[in-house]
Amino acid sequence: MTSSLPATALPDRARQDTRWRTPLFDFQRTLSWRGRVALGVLAWGLFLAAWQMLARAGIAPEQLFPAPTDVFSALYRLLTEQQFLSDIRASLTRILISFAIAASLAVPLGVLMGAFPVVAAFGNALVSPFRYLPAPSFIPLLLMWLGTGEAQKIALLCLGVVWFLITLVMDNTRAVRVDLIETAKTLGATRRATLWTVVVPAALPAIVDTLRQMLAVSWTYLVIAEIVAATDGIGAMMMRARRFVRVDDIMAGILVIGLLGLLLDLLFRALHWWVFPYLRQRRQ
Amino acid sequence: MNAYAASRLHSAPVARRELRVEGLSKVFTARRGSVVTAVDDVSFRVLPGEVCALLGPSGCGKSTVLRMVAGLEQPSDGSIVLSGREVTGPGRDRGLVFQSYTCFPWLTVRENVAYGLKVTGSTLALREGTVDYFLERVKLTPFADRYPDELSGGMRQRVAIARTLANGPDLLLMDEPFGALDSETRWQMQRLLLDVVRREGMSVLIVTHDVDEALYLADKIVCLSRHPGRVRDILMPPAEKPDEPEALYSAPAFVRLRSGILRMLREEGATAPLGETP
Repeated sequence: MTSSLPATALPDRARQDTRWRTPLFDFQRTLSWRGRVALGVLAWGLFLAAWQMLARAGIAPEQLFPAPTDVFSALYRLLTEQQFLSDIRASLTRILISFAIAASLAVPLGVLMGAFPVVAAFGNALVSPFRYLPAPSFIPLLLMWLGTGEAQKIALLCLGVVWFLITLVMDNTRAVRVDLIETAKTLGATRRATLWTVVVPAALPAIVDTLRQMLAVSWTYLVIAEIVAATDGIGAMMMRARRFVRVDDIMAGILVIGLLGLLLDLLFRALHWWVFPYLRQRRQ
Repeated sequence: MNAYAASRLHSAPVARRELRVEGLSKVFTARRGSVVTAVDDVSFRVLPGEVCALLGPSGCGKSTVLRMVAGLEQPSDGSIVLSGREVTGPGRDRGLVFQSYTCFPWLTVRENVAYGLKVTGSTLALREGTVDYFLERVKLTPFADRYPDELSGGMRQRVAIARTLANGPDLLLMDEPFGALDSETRWQMQRLLLDVVRREGMSVLIVTHDVDEALYLADKIVCLSRHPGRVRDILMPPAEKPDEPEALYSAPAFVRLRSGILRMLREEGATAPLGETP
């Protein structure tokens, strides 16, 4: 194992890398951590600079196409003067509550369907068609059943992700290696023990990844939910801004949604790293 | 009584641990309704403490026989009896080591070895003693707290062997356990396996297509023919095993057996045209 070797026995990495030049656009090229961050920052820098120049060039009226600097100052104004923070809190609460409900339904169901073909044959008949129904088409029904309050919005957000979550968690569970399950059986594990000690832990890393990706989908339904009969939330703020042609406010809303999505994604990645220590140092 | 001996209280007495396979057959129904006989009327015995190899060309149904003994596959006909009990499904009295690495990646080496004892409800005190004993036997004590993905292939198979033996089975089943290892590691693993099972008086049924592996490990070699899988011959290699792999090629008793088996395998190969092998 290389880690036990003295440092001097390791090849001089820097020198080895300059033996010949790896082409910049080589296939499957490895990149350093710094290189990746630099390229990411460069991409954003170019994007913002181009946007700024286009906005200031006077092609479109400034009110309809504000520059990034205008958007940032709008965001500052919204946060300091117009209680935008409570809108953000309302939206975030809706996302988290609805997603918790959807996940607590979908994960157990998906695991059972993935583990037992009998359950899958029964459940898929119901879940598959629902997946193709657009969640917003339920809005009129939800308004009549649940009124215009929180329950209606949370139900819509749940409906938007729950069917996909069930299907994806089922696939994650189905992908658990058969020989691991058979090993547990020959070691004397009962079916219940095999489910809890092999199927669930083997599928869990993939399930957490699925949850992370579906949380992003949840955000796409947020604005739709908050367009309908809402007085608070990021979406409601954006609809208000549209009435007063505050494009800078709308863009600030989009920016905040993007940033929050990114933040939650990072939190999920951190959770993944923390809960699955055995996936950290894969053998090369 | 030490911890390890106590953990084996559930096992059958050593003298009764005999595997009797009688008239075993397996018929698969292919997709278009055609019927394929994979295993046809196979009978053999594995005596207590005996290492028995199932040897044959690929596609002779030797793995199917092993899976039926493990209880993972239902026989179409015939019976399998271990320690006087009919096999009706998988159980802890028959531990199986696969060719693919089947360590649970989310458990450390120690937790892997303890897995069987834990799910079958052994007490913690009992478990610790047994786990330490078998970690020592397969020389993995220094790696007890590593995760399987940090280990080499040979070490992972040693974890799988220790995990199976710690569970105190009546019979150890192995499906080409060293097939994915390089030749030197394979040799070391075979020596270690013999050392461990001889010490425990463990009965072993091992599937292999490697003639040298069968000759070195086995007290009894059951040779299977192909299409359908039938017992072609049962051979008894010399009980005295050489210390070096080269000796298998020079000791007269081994040379005669080896060339006999190789000739048989070549005849089996000739019965099926190339490309028919799955």
